[in-house]
Amino acid sequence: MAAQAAPVRTEQVEAELVAERSTPEPGKPFTVALRLKAIDGWHTYWRNPGDSGQPTSIQWQLPPGYRAGPLQWPVPEKLPIGPLANYGYEGEVLLLTDIAVPSGARAPARIAAHAKWLVCNPERCIPQEADLVLDPGGAPRAQQIAFTREALPESARTGWSLTASGAAGGVGLEIAPPADFRAKTLHYFPYDEGKVQHAAAQRLEQRDAGLRLFIPAAAQPLGAFDRLHGLLVADGVRGFEIDVPVRGAVVAAPAGAAGASLGFIAALALAFAGGLILNLMPCVLPVLSIKVLSFARGRDARAMRVHGLFYGAGVLASFLALAGLLIGLKAAGTAVGWGFQLQSPVFVALLAVLFLALALNLSGAFEFASLVPARLANASAAYPHADAFLTGVLAVVVASPCTVPFMGAAIGYALTESALVALAVFAALGIGMAVPYVLLAFEPRWLRRLPKPGPWMVSLKRWLALPLYATVGWLVWVLSIQVGFAGAPAAKSLWQPYSEARVAELVAQGKPVFVDFTAAWCVTCQVNKQLVLSRPETERAFAERGVRLLRADWTRQDPEITRALAALGRNGVPVYVLYRPGREPRLLPEILTREAVQAALAELST
Amino acid sequence: MKILLAALLFAAGSALAGTVGQPAPEFTLADVSGKPVKLSDFRGRYVVLEWVNPECPYVEKHYGSANMQGLQKEFTSKNSVWLAINSTREGHYEYYPPQKMAGWMKEVGGAPSATLLDPTGKVGRAYQARTTPHMYIVDPKGVLVYAGGIDDKRSTSKADVKTAKNYVRAAMGEALAGKPISAASTAPYGCSIKY
Repeated sequence: MAAQAAPVRTEQVEAELVAERSTPEPGKPFTVALRLKAIDGWHTYWRNPGDSGQPTSIQWQLPPGYRAGPLQWPVPEKLPIGPLANYGYEGEVLLLTDIAVPSGARAPARIAAHAKWLVCNPERCIPQEADLVLDPGGAPRAQQIAFTREALPESARTGWSLTASGAAGGVGLEIAPPADFRAKTLHYFPYDEGKVQHAAAQRLEQRDAGLRLFIPAAAQPLGAFDRLHGLLVADGVRGFEIDVPVRGAVVAAPAGAAGASLGFIAALALAFAGGLILNLMPCVLPVLSIKVLSFARGRDARAMRVHGLFYGAGVLASFLALAGLLIGLKAAGTAVGWGFQLQSPVFVALLAVLFLALALNLSGAFEFASLVPARLANASAAYPHADAFLTGVLAVVVASPCTVPFMGAAIGYALTESALVALAVFAALGIGMAVPYVLLAFEPRWLRRLPKPGPWMVSLKRWLALPLYATVGWLVWVLSIQVGFAGAPAAKSLWQPYSEARVAELVAQGKPVFVDFTAAWCVTCQVNKQLVLSRPETERAFAERGVRLLRADWTRQDPEITRALAALGRNGVPVYVLYRPGREPRLLPEILTREAVQAALAELST
Repeated sequence: MKILLAALLFAAGSALAGTVGQPAPEFTLADVSGKPVKLSDFRGRYVVLEWVNPECPYVEKHYGSANMQGLQKEFTSKNSVWLAINSTREGHYEYYPPQKMAGWMKEVGGAPSATLLDPTGKVGRAYQARTTPHMYIVDPKGVLVYAGGIDDKRSTSKADVKTAKNYVRAAMGEALAGKPISAASTAPYGCSIKY
């Protein structure tokens, strides 16, 4: 193609060289722009094209003594294509170059270039190139060039405080911007390929000292992710160039941990199973078994069925309400997770009172009827539907201290997906929990094998009260930790408190790290601790492999731990994870066994 | 109950991404004649996976210069397996139905062990394949040992093939000689896969 002064037109692009003045002046820098204007729906690429594509390039042909500087790239856009993303420019873009003009230069000078670009729409890519020459008679574009220069990314060196540290699945960038800085969105565009997962959303959080941006790392990283070098783009238009070293290593997210890797159907199945198992938890079983035993008294079959259905509706409504609350809090930007209710001392105190009342009631210390006004006591008889519904609500309330295996994965999944998916998963949980009770209400015949109601039921009630008293004791203990009467359980020197930075630092030193994500209010956590983690043989096994032990205590609200859980695809405790240098972390089962720990440790040496 | 729990745990943990050093995601895809081809059937041999789309200018660079066909012949003759996979979604206008894909491969003189179609993009996504071409090598034990580009010259110019460092040839050379692969992860370049 012969060099042309007029714009070169392809089917998709108009390309030309434009300048701020009609002729260069000796000794002064002269700014020339490659102007590319793509038709609607097509784009050209930034210096890092993202998952595919090719940056625009230019080779200058200049008179002797003239020297061209580098291409100055305007702030790019993130262009999603399916599961991938590109960085580039839709429509028109001016790529500026400052040309140094020698002091002895004589006009007119021929400024020419060979430009290559790739132009794509989401469906198709076409490589194009052209020989271009600056038209000395062309109208100067001083204004457009000045405007472009004004909008170029600026250095974030002054007034910004930036620190980056490796975390599970990516890099956390702590940002303290200048005081007058305001932005609704921030996104990091890397100069280097192969470090960042381009298509992934980068989560921005408001923190006490400023902002925190979580930048997910590429699943298949090229080289070490040890530096953030690129642009921070605010509100999609203002770019700030940053170059920040990353402290500590980026720890790969465990395989299968990303919420999305758990399919929708699998999440529903897990939630349903989790709901079923909830019925067997020590906090729920005593309450429900008393109710179920009353079925055997053989009331009117139709009334029983209606009762069962209202109970189910109560369970379902409670779970949906919880889901709605969680979704709402998340949308409002609060870092919460499953079990968040129990992080509130008020809720724990109310729960303790409730369990105490239930336990005393079962022990026969009092009948509810003798304590509450007759009118209220009769209400349960007068409004049997409301009574059944409230029994369902109560069952969910008392179940909340017991996060069950599978519920963790399913709820973690639910909360990373859309609100509708989250509601569906919580509904499955509710249905799972309600099913056994509703079935028994429909088929009380299944209870016929039980002995006839009699004094044995009274003694059974006394026995069933015991786990409830234990629950009360435990809730009081949780409460005492939350309000600070008792210190956190005497931390043996073996376990250190968890922090993201500490994990990254230890892994960077080549040390394996085991993290126990736990909370005083989490029964499963306490059981695992007693039966597995605190056993001398387990501690010895950890020591033999040089594994560092960190404990992340989620008894109270802690956004850092909530975030770490989210990075592992979880939203509640317990979570046990073994970070292995140079390998992806390994998640251990929520119901921990010594064998599982041994197996995970044995893998360290393979 | 125990079986149910085990099954559920398995379902939760089975999704694995294609990562160098990890087992390569297993797949079964139909080739252009409709015959199912299963990755694990090639245990004991090196398997090269090539993501291909005849409509892509970057693919055209490597077939137009006979670079890709040359690699295919070279390594299939050394007892290795070469699977060319097209993950263009059915319905995209660059989609090639089996016969057309077979015809194209024959016309350009391609010599892969099999040409596979992945119109749902399931396998492409499992490997996190992003571009055409995007290259992977699976070792005889089924472990992914290379993921990345075909070479280091990001362009559509056929002339660049001669001067570029071909990562796949280098990696296969090292692997077949029993040496560790020096560049096991590189930047792929090309058209985006039309998922």
